[in-house]
Amino acid sequence: MIEHLKAHFGEDIESAEQVGREVRVRLRPAALVAVCRFCKERGYRYPADITAVDTGSEMRVVYRLVSLDNGEHAVISAGVPRSGASLPSITGVFRGADWPEREVYDLFGVRFVSHPDLRRILLTDDWQGFPLLKTGSVQDR
Amino acid sequence: MSVGLTPTEQVILNMGPQHPSTHGVLRLKLTLEGEVIVGCDPVIGYLHRGMEKIAENRTYAQFIPYTDRLDYLSSASNNEAFVLAVERIASIEVPPRAQYLRVILLELNRIASHLVFVATFANDLAATTAFLYGFREREVIMDLFEMWTGARLTQSWIRIGGVGSDLPEGFEKKAHEFCRMLGPRLAEYDELLTGNRIFRARTEGVGLLPPEAGIDYACSGPTLRGSGVPFDLRRAEPYEVYSRLGFDVVTDEACDCMGRYRVRMEEMRQSVHIIEQCLDQLPQGEVLAKVPRALRPAAGEAYGRVESPRGEFACYVVSDGGTSPLRVRLRAPSFYHMAALPEMVRGWKIGDVVAILGSLDIVLGEIDR
Repeated sequence: MIEHLKAHFGEDIESAEQVGREVRVRLRPAALVAVCRFCKERGYRYPADITAVDTGSEMRVVYRLVSLDNGEHAVISAGVPRSGASLPSITGVFRGADWPEREVYDLFGVRFVSHPDLRRILLTDDWQGFPLLKTGSVQDR
Repeated sequence: MSVGLTPTEQVILNMGPQHPSTHGVLRLKLTLEGEVIVGCDPVIGYLHRGMEKIAENRTYAQFIPYTDRLDYLSSASNNEAFVLAVERIASIEVPPRAQYLRVILLELNRIASHLVFVATFANDLAATTAFLYGFREREVIMDLFEMWTGARLTQSWIRIGGVGSDLPEGFEKKAHEFCRMLGPRLAEYDELLTGNRIFRARTEGVGLLPPEAGIDYACSGPTLRGSGVPFDLRRAEPYEVYSRLGFDVVTDEACDCMGRYRVRMEEMRQSVHIIEQCLDQLPQGEVLAKVPRALRPAAGEAYGRVESPRGEFACYVVSDGGTSPLRVRLRAPSFYHMAALPEMVRGWKIGDVVAILGSLDIVLGEIDR
């Protein structure tokens, strides 16, 4: 899978490694939708999870696509800035991406471009701030 | 005079947040054209407690009791997913006896959860007797939990490195008795419910979820297996000792409410089979590995996936080498099933929403986190 990705997307794949049954890929945000579609066409049809990780020094959005045929996970991550971040939405590839993307927006503030209905989902509509950022304290309101 | 279709005005109807069939605090904003549903917008978050944020401010062991409060009908699955991820990062080996005890606890939890499903699902469809039956059988499991762990619902008995304690005196005999008792009781349910004409009319062909849509929405568990997809993490990515145990992955081709109901009914029988095998094979030995009290796993990440009664419950844990996790992501199956609900209820009527929502067996505690 790694060779296929590198052959197709070249420079857009920043790094790729195989860890157990996980193919961990880090890529440029511009290639996100194309890579997700590429994975889906190769059997990674189950979008198990979409989330973000803020380590304090950098932030990345992590997509986990699972193949129901061979059980492999494609763990795709894209680095984003910690404020004013935006990424292309993959709702056009996976319908199941709708709610998890809303959640990442709600809790981390990442805007998903061309998402059909980007609203807060767990917090109230008038909530200020994004609580899962390392800079956002729990007292933020 | 011409008799034609009268144009109807769309009406917005709020179902919930306080509604007995929404199983907790859930609000469905339904758009109706006459009696027919043309739009559904689930409003969630009423139970949001910021679990993922809390995790970043607790030690690894301290977070286990919080996970019980996610899917409170099967707290062991939540414990297991979190503990699996932590054990993978910290490379902790779990003693064989503890692995078997975990499976016993997980499968008892599955039966208890499915019994609540049958009970409440039947009750939603006005079959009150089955409601009482379901809770009667579940009570035996609650007693078993209390005997072993001291708690009925929020056990926190799956710990990093093993389980909280060994089985108490007399537990195995009582567990065997329960296993023998459940089969005939489920046959009673079948007589009462499965073939019941009203129950069938309310569930057959209602709320279709095609297999492709189920996968695309990342549905899992009985919801996906009720659409004929044989995806079960106990087989696909076996954890603990599941690879050594014999059981069938139950599927149903119906794709409707009835299909999802039948999958859960059969899964209870399979769980009984698993528990009996565990009790027979149970090896002697330790039940808790030696784990440092202030656990500092090396920097890294792990994804612990568990087949909970509802589907794929997973914890994505990222460590930076400190005593608290850097990030804990809780992947709840009901969240994904709820996202698929609008598509499933479109074109049906309000009474059917009750059946369709009930057939997904959601728990708001894990949706809202």
